[in-house]
Amino acid sequence: MSTNFDRRRINGPEDSFSPVLVDDDEDETKWRPGKPRQSRQPQDIRPIFLQPGLISQANGSAYIETERTKIACAVYGPRQSKNVGYIERGRLNVQVKFAPFSCHKRRAPIRDAEDRSIAVLIHQSLVSSVRLELFPKSTIDVFLTIIENDGIDSCVATGTVAASTALADAGIEMLGLVTSCAATLMGEEIWLDPNHDEATAGASTLVLACMPALNVVTSVWQNGTISPKQGLECMKACQERCETIHSIVAQSLVSNFTPE
Amino acid sequence: MAATSVPSEEIRAATFQRLYPKTYLERFLQENVRPDGRDFLEFRDCSINVGSISTADGSSLVRLGDTTVVCGVKAEIAEPDLDAPEDGFLVPNLDLPPLCSPKYKPGPPSDDAQVISSRLNEALILSGMLPTKSLCIQPGKFVWVLYVDATCINYNGNVFDATLLAMVAALKNARLPKAVYHEETNHVTCSRKLREPLSLSGTPLASTFGVFDSSHLLADPTAFEEPLLETTVTIITDNGGRLLSTSQLGQYLPPEMDVLSECITNAKSRTTEIMKHILAI
Repeated sequence: MSTNFDRRRINGPEDSFSPVLVDDDEDETKWRPGKPRQSRQPQDIRPIFLQPGLISQANGSAYIETERTKIACAVYGPRQSKNVGYIERGRLNVQVKFAPFSCHKRRAPIRDAEDRSIAVLIHQSLVSSVRLELFPKSTIDVFLTIIENDGIDSCVATGTVAASTALADAGIEMLGLVTSCAATLMGEEIWLDPNHDEATAGASTLVLACMPALNVVTSVWQNGTISPKQGLECMKACQERCETIHSIVAQSLVSNFTPE
Repeated sequence: MAATSVPSEEIRAATFQRLYPKTYLERFLQENVRPDGRDFLEFRDCSINVGSISTADGSSLVRLGDTTVVCGVKAEIAEPDLDAPEDGFLVPNLDLPPLCSPKYKPGPPSDDAQVISSRLNEALILSGMLPTKSLCIQPGKFVWVLYVDATCINYNGNVFDATLLAMVAALKNARLPKAVYHEETNHVTCSRKLREPLSLSGTPLASTFGVFDSSHLLADPTAFEEPLLETTVTIITDNGGRLLSTSQLGQYLPPEMDVLSECITNAKSRTTEIMKHILAI
């Protein structure tokens, strides 16, 4: 019997596979590893579209789009923690969900490890910025839905920015806005904000989250092989870019703010 | 004192709405207007945006007032059922994640999501919009499976209408790669460049109405109005204005009102309006 039959959903056939695509006549315009970066400089990031407050049912929300990465984020809370005893500090709960159509291969709606690990990384970036000591017995829920995915590093970085914007939109007290930027090591060059193809081709990827207003780093996540010197260079490049993103976030929050 | 009384007025209204939702709505209806300023039989503005998700074979984003639904079509290949060797599969599902409303919790699909998904499946099947035979690649060997997944991003009522519209728009936007069956190796390859639209016929469109207090008929209810309604009536018509389905959920219809015929008349004019949006995509 099929294992993925779920009586709570409309089911398709037991087994199906993605179409096999052929006759790719060497598309010359497509980027390939080894080629110089297309349409932007190594230190450039993709344009960011950020709109807080789109989800009217939530306490705070943000929608972010950087070319092909599209993420919606909603914040509910602080609300009462259920099924736990007295806790002095509030809890920050981050959940990430991929839409089934967000990746090249269809993502069947079952729990897998990837969304959990992204949630943990975003949680880590955010948790030191939120003043949880002000919310005893409460939970702040941060839900993210990835509508289109263009690389995991990009999802973590843009997801962090969206979540921090949504927290600010919800009026939750924070020490500062958290912004995040990814980098990949391509040969000797550092390419900021890589997309999926670039991140897979690079030797190492690094995602840095920081609070530019306080000049502190909240999380660093590095993968692959990199020398300590290059690692520090990556972090420095990311941090500079985070300051640019910080002003984008602040601008979007200001233009969305309506005094009560 | 004066400085504090201005916001407190607003807060008092919000508190009253929270504590006495029914009275709150009644007071608006007495003045012949709904809390969001609409007339009783007025639908919210709707916008359709297609093809913005590159990872899907077809996609759409529909906004019905604040209610927002994203839908993506993913095409996969499978073996057909033995008793229907030429029939492909159409698999529509709606997800109502905890992101879209405080009333949904993380975990398996909620009751609402299950009910709406199965109603969407029925609507798509009975409209005959997409003949499953047209999804055949090689009879008895390979057929297309179209997963039509919708995710609600913002739940402000009447998700059924918005999702059906999103699914219809995503199917119209979908382009399937041209598939070739190789008999000697018994497998299917697809062209990366040649893509074809689906052979669609008919466009099912839904219009939902609610009855409040056995006396008022409200079109396109919001999330605030929905739980206060005794009955909801959903009319599904096709693009020619022909009736495809009528469903009533909830208590009996008040006999003193001619609810059904009024719903049908309004649904038809609504469909004509929505068709303009669909033809524009």
